[in-house]
Amino acid sequence: MQLGDYLPIAVMGLLALIFGGASYVLSGLLAPRKPTPEKLQPYECGIVPEYEPPQRFPVQFYLIAVIFIAFDIEVIFMYPWAVRMRDLGMFGFALMGSFMVMLIVPLIYIIREGVLDWAPRRRHSRDELIARYRAEHEAAAREEAA
Amino acid sequence: MLIADAIAAPPSDWWAIAPQLVLGGTAVVIILMICVKRVDPGWNALVAAVGTVASGVFAWEQWRQVTTDANPRLAYSGMIAVDGFSAFLVLVVCVAAFLGVLLADQYFKREGIDRGEYYALLLFSACGMQFMAAANNLVMVFVALELLSICLYVLSAWNRDDSRSQEAGAKYLLLGAYSSAILLFGIALLYGGTGTTNLARMAEIFSENVTREPGLVLLGMVFVIVGLGFKIAAVPFHMWTPDVYQGAPTPVVGFMASGAKIAGFAGLFRVLETGLAAFEFDWQPLLVGLAIVTMLGGSILAIAQRDVKRMLAYSSIAHAGFILTGLASGTAAGVRGALFYLVAYVFMIAGAFGVVALLARRGERYTSLDDYRDMFRREPVLATVLAFFLFAMAGIPGTSGFVAKFAVFTGVADAHQWVLLTVGTVASVISAYFYLRLVVYMYMRPEVDEGEAQPAALPRVRWAPATVVALVLTVFFTIQLGILPQGLLDMAGKATLLF
Amino acid sequence: MDWFDSWALSLAVFIPVVGALVILAIPKAREYQIKVVGLVASIAALIVGIGILSRWNWDDGGYQFEVNKGWLSAIRSNYHIALDGISLPLFILTLVIVVLCIIYSWNHWPEPRSPKMLLFLILLLETGMLGTFVSLDLILFFVFFEVTLLPMYFIIGIWGGEQRIYASIKFFLFTLFGSAFMLVGFLALFFLSEPHTFDIVELSANGGAAAAVISSTAGLWIFAGLFLGFAIKVPMFPLHTWLPDAHTQAPTVGSVILAAILLKLGTYGFVRIALPILPQAAHSWAPWIGLLAVIGIIYGSLCCLAQTDLKRLIAFSSVGHMGFVMLGIATLTPVGINAAIFGMIAHGVVTGMLFFVAGSIHERYHTRDMSRLGGMLSSIPRMGGVFVLVAFASLGLPALAGFPGEFTSMLASFEPAGGLSQSLFRGFMIAAAVGTVLTAGYMLYMLQRVAQGEVPGEYAGHHLHDIEAPEYVSWTPLIVLTVALGIFPSLVFNVTNSSVVPMFEQIFHHAIGG
Repeated sequence: MQLGDYLPIAVMGLLALIFGGASYVLSGLLAPRKPTPEKLQPYECGIVPEYEPPQRFPVQFYLIAVIFIAFDIEVIFMYPWAVRMRDLGMFGFALMGSFMVMLIVPLIYIIREGVLDWAPRRRHSRDELIARYRAEHEAAAREEAA
Repeated sequence: MLIADAIAAPPSDWWAIAPQLVLGGTAVVIILMICVKRVDPGWNALVAAVGTVASGVFAWEQWRQVTTDANPRLAYSGMIAVDGFSAFLVLVVCVAAFLGVLLADQYFKREGIDRGEYYALLLFSACGMQFMAAANNLVMVFVALELLSICLYVLSAWNRDDSRSQEAGAKYLLLGAYSSAILLFGIALLYGGTGTTNLARMAEIFSENVTREPGLVLLGMVFVIVGLGFKIAAVPFHMWTPDVYQGAPTPVVGFMASGAKIAGFAGLFRVLETGLAAFEFDWQPLLVGLAIVTMLGGSILAIAQRDVKRMLAYSSIAHAGFILTGLASGTAAGVRGALFYLVAYVFMIAGAFGVVALLARRGERYTSLDDYRDMFRREPVLATVLAFFLFAMAGIPGTSGFVAKFAVFTGVADAHQWVLLTVGTVASVISAYFYLRLVVYMYMRPEVDEGEAQPAALPRVRWAPATVVALVLTVFFTIQLGILPQGLLDMAGKATLLF
Repeated sequence: MDWFDSWALSLAVFIPVVGALVILAIPKAREYQIKVVGLVASIAALIVGIGILSRWNWDDGGYQFEVNKGWLSAIRSNYHIALDGISLPLFILTLVIVVLCIIYSWNHWPEPRSPKMLLFLILLLETGMLGTFVSLDLILFFVFFEVTLLPMYFIIGIWGGEQRIYASIKFFLFTLFGSAFMLVGFLALFFLSEPHTFDIVELSANGGAAAAVISSTAGLWIFAGLFLGFAIKVPMFPLHTWLPDAHTQAPTVGSVILAAILLKLGTYGFVRIALPILPQAAHSWAPWIGLLAVIGIIYGSLCCLAQTDLKRLIAFSSVGHMGFVMLGIATLTPVGINAAIFGMIAHGVVTGMLFFVAGSIHERYHTRDMSRLGGMLSSIPRMGGVFVLVAFASLGLPALAGFPGEFTSMLASFEPAGGLSQSLFRGFMIAAAVGTVLTAGYMLYMLQRVAQGEVPGEYAGHHLHDIEAPEYVSWTPLIVLTVALGIFPSLVFNVTNSSVVPMFEQIFHHAIGG
């Protein structure tokens, strides 16, 4: 393989640069400019933003997506092992077993961390809630009696 | 069937990766602990500390079994090499991780962000550093680098309510990913030029003189140096360092500054000295130039800093330059000096950041030079300890910093590179200035200028036992390596024998 | 007493640092104990020094009390220490001066008052200075040389005057800058010599034979590196600018130690290292060294005439006096080197004493501005008398300590070593003689302003204390030495000559061929 074989890639890169640069420069030169405050806002699908950008927003979707990708890709490692399971014998089994442990531990961890909870996290256990309800109820009953 | 035979008995050399396994395993145990029940993270820290010590014991056993005459012991199809170099640096990583764990507990409790996951991430990162030290294959280098870096990205942003910490994490992530891409590109080019990613095999190919494409190899070499240059924070790839070191939680910085640098240098040494040894005449001038601008850049830019953490960041850049000098000399004495320097540096930088973390108080409010005024009167012990580390970093005799610089310069003089030697000594004098300035602030400047109102006295800094242990250890070794460095110099010499 | 021969030097060098560590362990409030420990440690070191003197073989010019143990085998640096006639006087002077400094401070500690820290630093400094004088290994020498840096930096920076921070940093950076190049020079010596060694004795044996393999160009460069390191410490014109600042700002004991001993590390380095190891390079550089020395003499004296600050004046006078020392060295003759060592001792005693008195004057008048001083002889006659005596010694009055060194130094430049331009060095001699006249001029001018005349009005009503007990104790030995060295210069010359002559036979007969 010669270094010259890479020439097309270089040409491609050069073309990309020229195209990108040219569009940028040309749009700056040719486009009409009538700025209004709304237009100068950061782009948000044409809607005038109502909040300051750095507000917190729920990231559950992103988390689920990331976790899905992480675990999804790990599965790929199992295919080669499954094909050669008998040949690899105990060694392969042990190796895949430890790999599975590596996968399961974080799974337990993220579940404990509440990644799969969609509602706001429960702050109290069920028993605690029942106990509190009873206490309030009894207090109200006592007041009534008084 | 043939293929099946070939893979039927893959060798599994658990012993070769025992230190890494122990660290990774400890991290998993910590995660499991958290899953079972969240306890005081101090317990997680304890487990982590025990894990690093256990890992260190295994590394020490590996070190003792290293023979000086044999070839490196290869494991996992040549992915892992166990030799003096790897065992030595694995051991140093254990030390850095141990100090990182000890210094963390008090700080994170004070900031109210103590969670057990910190220790798991730290151990995973250290595990990556250890793999880096033992990597004998460019793929392994890359995987190890990613393992250690990704954990460090998270650790940098650990204080997520603090915008400085967030900024540090984001910057480190972006520039780190960028540098990884460059490194990967370099690895790809090297593979393109030689047809292998195994470093030992690569050296064989070069010695057989069947290189198909020296241009590709050279280009790949440059990219690898640049990629790893980011990790070791060599000028001009240092831009992220001051921001990240200033923003990230201080104990993280202490660990990052020591551990990531060890790993980066481990990779650099291994790739250049093993894989690309035949190209020494090509990479040596490159490293000489890099070392010169790094030493001078780090030292000079540090003078302009008014923030102590930022100043220490530039100082760590300058240190990277001095360590590079050892490698750039191309002599065994230089590499030995560089390895010694790494060890001395781990103790100095961990200790210095440990003290800075204490003095910064809750919320890291007090990190500017002016906050250190008259520190000697307010916190005599801490000020003295910090001054001691500063002098050690400046290379005052009697401390490990002097022996380290001296050992490196010995290698340079051995190679008769007088320009590099002169620049190095001048840079060390320049760097003495800003270390000294902090000492001046701590010892000689009154807390406020005349006529200003005296601020309300802060309560004395409290010391947690783990912090005390860490500081005593760092001070002890900084003195010990300064007065009786022979043992470690011999060890470092043994670690370089295999190149 | 075999154990003494092998342990005496190590004991003397490390007793002070042990004392310093003990002081560190004593709580700050127990000031008396701290002072006693400091004094005892320094006196113990002095007693070891007296023991060394008592067992000294006065006829032997070689190294005595030699110890040579492995230290850093990886870089072939050894713990090689010994004394000979060149280092012995400086070694003893160091021991004496430190004891006197501690006694002097007994009752007046400079502000901010902290005897614990000051004594700790002084003792640490003592170890560094003693170690430098006994080291026969370049790395060991360098380590001790640098160890002296930190304590002095703190002494100036913490207890100094208004400009103390500027002065201390300047002092530190100048010296560090020089020693960095010195280290480069040492490393170059190691790797270019054959066999590779850091041992000063081996390097200088047979006229620097080990270093003779170094090409003459490299030798010139190495000598230049060493020159920077030592000349900054001396200090030689034009590298002297840190000295007036450091001296003026330092507290009294700091100035005394700086003048009496620290400056000698530089000149000692020339005599012990630069000359014997690189005689040919020294020969090439000698005219330039002589020139700078003479410029130093004239320039220092002229600056003195312009000073209004007493301590700054004495500091500039040091530049001049050290110029004589360097002139002696530049002649590259045994006479010149003897003169140089005598000059070092005499300058240590006399200028140390001058700084003591200047410190006491400052304490009484609360100013060092000579236009506001005056009338010492009438208001505090004893101190005035001491001051006059020492000032006369400093200007080189015969029969006092300042004279023999400077006179011999000029004598030596009349007849410099073979190959050096006679007429040039005779020109230097004439210039130096002009320098002595100027010295006499500024010293007398100073005496006129400080000691004579009327007591200025602002002090008229005040009662000024004359010499106090600690001052008596600490000054008497120096005054005795000032007179004794002036009357019996052979006290020092005999010791130094016994070592200088063999050294020269070794070096210059081999290297330059007579």
